[in-house]
Amino acid sequence: MNPLLRMESIEKEFSGVRVLHGVDFHVLPGEVMALVGENGAGKSTLMKILAGVHTDWRGTILLDDRVVHFASTREAEEAGIAIIFQELNLVPELTVAENIYLGREPTRFGDVIDYPRMNRMAQEIMDDLHFNAPVTIPVSQLRVGRQQLVEIGKALSLNARILVMDEPTSALSEAETEVLFAVVRKLRENGVSVVYISHRLTELSEIADRVTVLRDGYTVGSNLVKDTSRSELIRMMVGRDFQQFFVKEGEPREDIVLRVNKLTRTSADPPRMPVFEDISFEVRRGEQFGIAGLLGSGRTELLEALFGAAAADTTGSVELEGVELDLSSPRKAIGAGMALITEDRKGNGLVISMNVEQNLTLAALRDLVWFSILSKTKERALAEEYVERLSIDVSDLKNPIETLSGGNQQKVLLAKWLATRPKVLLLDEPTRGIDVGAKHELYIHLSELAKQGVSIVMVSSELPELLSICDRIMVLRSGRVSALFDREEASQEKILSAAAPAA
Amino acid sequence: MSTNRAARRLGPFVGLIIIFLGGVLLNGQIFLSLYNQLNVLGRVSIIALPAVGMTLVIITAGIDLSIGSLLSLSTVACAMLLMERSWTRATSLTVPIFILFAMLVGYYLGNQLLSHAGFDRRKSRLAGVIVGLVLAAASGLWCSSQVSTGFSTIAVLLTVPVLGMFLGAISGLIIAKGKIQPFIVTLGMMSAAVGLAKFIAGKGGQIHPVYYQAAGYTAEGTAHVAPRSFDMLSGHLSILGVKIFPVTALFFLAAVLIVHFTLTRLRFGRHIYAIGGNEETARLSGVNVDRVKTLVYGFCGGLSALAGVLYCASYTQGKPDAGATWELDAIAAVVIGGTSLMGGRGTVIGTMVGVMILGYLGNILNLQEVPSEVQDILKGVIIVGAVLVQEGTLLRWLRGIRSKHPA
Repeated sequence: MNPLLRMESIEKEFSGVRVLHGVDFHVLPGEVMALVGENGAGKSTLMKILAGVHTDWRGTILLDDRVVHFASTREAEEAGIAIIFQELNLVPELTVAENIYLGREPTRFGDVIDYPRMNRMAQEIMDDLHFNAPVTIPVSQLRVGRQQLVEIGKALSLNARILVMDEPTSALSEAETEVLFAVVRKLRENGVSVVYISHRLTELSEIADRVTVLRDGYTVGSNLVKDTSRSELIRMMVGRDFQQFFVKEGEPREDIVLRVNKLTRTSADPPRMPVFEDISFEVRRGEQFGIAGLLGSGRTELLEALFGAAAADTTGSVELEGVELDLSSPRKAIGAGMALITEDRKGNGLVISMNVEQNLTLAALRDLVWFSILSKTKERALAEEYVERLSIDVSDLKNPIETLSGGNQQKVLLAKWLATRPKVLLLDEPTRGIDVGAKHELYIHLSELAKQGVSIVMVSSELPELLSICDRIMVLRSGRVSALFDREEASQEKILSAAAPAA
Repeated sequence: MSTNRAARRLGPFVGLIIIFLGGVLLNGQIFLSLYNQLNVLGRVSIIALPAVGMTLVIITAGIDLSIGSLLSLSTVACAMLLMERSWTRATSLTVPIFILFAMLVGYYLGNQLLSHAGFDRRKSRLAGVIVGLVLAAASGLWCSSQVSTGFSTIAVLLTVPVLGMFLGAISGLIIAKGKIQPFIVTLGMMSAAVGLAKFIAGKGGQIHPVYYQAAGYTAEGTAHVAPRSFDMLSGHLSILGVKIFPVTALFFLAAVLIVHFTLTRLRFGRHIYAIGGNEETARLSGVNVDRVKTLVYGFCGGLSALAGVLYCASYTQGKPDAGATWELDAIAAVVIGGTSLMGGRGTVIGTMVGVMILGYLGNILNLQEVPSEVQDILKGVIIVGAVLVQEGTLLRWLRGIRSKHPA
């Protein structure tokens, strides 16, 4: 079979730094091709070249044996290439249907949008995705996972011949992921080729036919998925063998650091529905405490409330080392020894206009000032200390934070909060969108911190991760605690059944 | 991306050099003469002060449309305080605000001093209240003595900027606490401050002249004149009788230095950049966003009012529409100086250069006897052109044209 798409010897530089060194990538008609590699391996860059986002690159792209060089995403779309990017590109105020057909609205009488037709077509697409809601609601009312479904629907509406999905499942629940897989299989039957980028290697055997591995801007190789074991894949990705599953070391100490008492939060906008209710738990010193639950179970909102980021809507009390925590602002929480690494790195984690050093020291400036005057030497020393400790890959601390890969950005965030020397570290989906190697490193750091006596509260959708690194796991269901497991008794099945909504 | 950054940083300087060379080529000797240079510097220094304050506001991703009105209000308040010897509408507005300000400063100082010295919260607060009351009483007594003799130069330099600071801080507080767009809030303040200026001026907004010699204009026949030292604000520093530097430019320079230090070396400055870059991240990183915003708008208002005092000295009058549309010039200077209206990026040095570019432009066109209507058109073109260059858009367009029409 002749490849539908051939990308050959693709090279790309960003301000003098070579990120792709002649990558080869082929896609056959009607196959699901997985594209894997660590962060910074060049997967997203390669796909952005294909989509016409990057236009200055060297090499050859052949589509149907014809040379193409897309000058814009529009041209790529017209050639039948649709991409669902990792970052969401939706207009929050517009409805689901308006977003799907943005810029391609069906019209009548010249330029009047044909809403009935547009809504009907959008509803058909979203029904196939089991969206289960009218397409006339604004996107802003949807949670991240549901917004991702809208992005997928948008790409499907283009009737593409090649559909690229960059980490489509990172924000989806298990059930939504299953639906997505069903859609992908259906597309394949209809002869559409799918390029599937994912960090979740376990998904690949379920969905992909072949897999191409990139490392540091080179193609390592392409294989049939059924002939490639997980450990083989990891070896291709990182270029070395390493322990597959991390197991936490050390035991938490006896004394209780964090005591949460009947915490309740209502939504900020009327009707003031409860987001979570009556949540009580205790975390010991040096404990790694996991929180599991489906999207919408109140996990993220619980962490925010513990950090004083939802003062007006929260009732109940939180004690830190026996002293009641002032939940009126994040500033007070930080002062008391709390730290929060949020889920949305770009949205509320990093300041994109600042450099690496400024991002790293932002929460710890109070230790770097003399009567409010910043000490540049102290600031530099602090940044260098943490770059060293967390082995952050950065050539110059003054570089813009955007120039770092996702995994390294995540490390900068970890460093930013460790620099405040917290007693309790709250993490929301800390491994979302980072690669195997970076995940493994994060587990080691967390375990090390716990040993030093920091208590860790971590929300994650990846159950194997929680099971391997947490001492205890609390499960939330619709804003209430539905179960609490010790590490010995916890299992994937038990957690899932505690998290699933009661029928 | 990196070319954009360089264009943003270096662009204003290149622009200034080009404009300056243009001035030399077109007008030669006259342009370069000390007299002309001092004239430009003196003229731009007044508008420069609000532009410096506006830089901070714009870095927080905000905007302040009220600076022209605050400047107008200040010219009127300043002229009336200087010239009147009785309790007027100007004193009713300025003095209570100044006393309130003294009280707040006293509270802050007393509280901070004791809590830094390790006293508990209650004792520190008590100390704050006591120091606040003492300062309030002292400033009240001082103000009333000023009212009876006519305000001194020092007194207007203190009280009038505090008035502007207070009104600016009100805008800031509403923006921060009410989560309302700065555009709307400061638009409201713009209207309110002009109204206030006309109200205190009386008679539907009459002009209040400032005299240095008794001219027998007053009803009681007493010598109602402004202190001589006030005239010095519009003068020059001179060595051996040679004028070398306008006094207004000293204020300009000082403001630039203070703000530059704040932005580059103070935690407060870092917080300003963080808020403009990503407000939610800043809040979650422990930045007191509401406080920073209140202070920034207060500072901008204070500088605008200070500019009002200097205007009053330079033009010897308080005029309820003195600063009309000045906010646009200030925004233009900031933007030409490379500060992004999106927030998070920008420098006050850039603004200084932006102010000079606009100043030289006006000067050259005046020397060329270009009519002011045409000057305004050219100014508009330059503002938009500067941003097109900084964003790299112009370069991209040119490249596009070249690739579509190969030579």
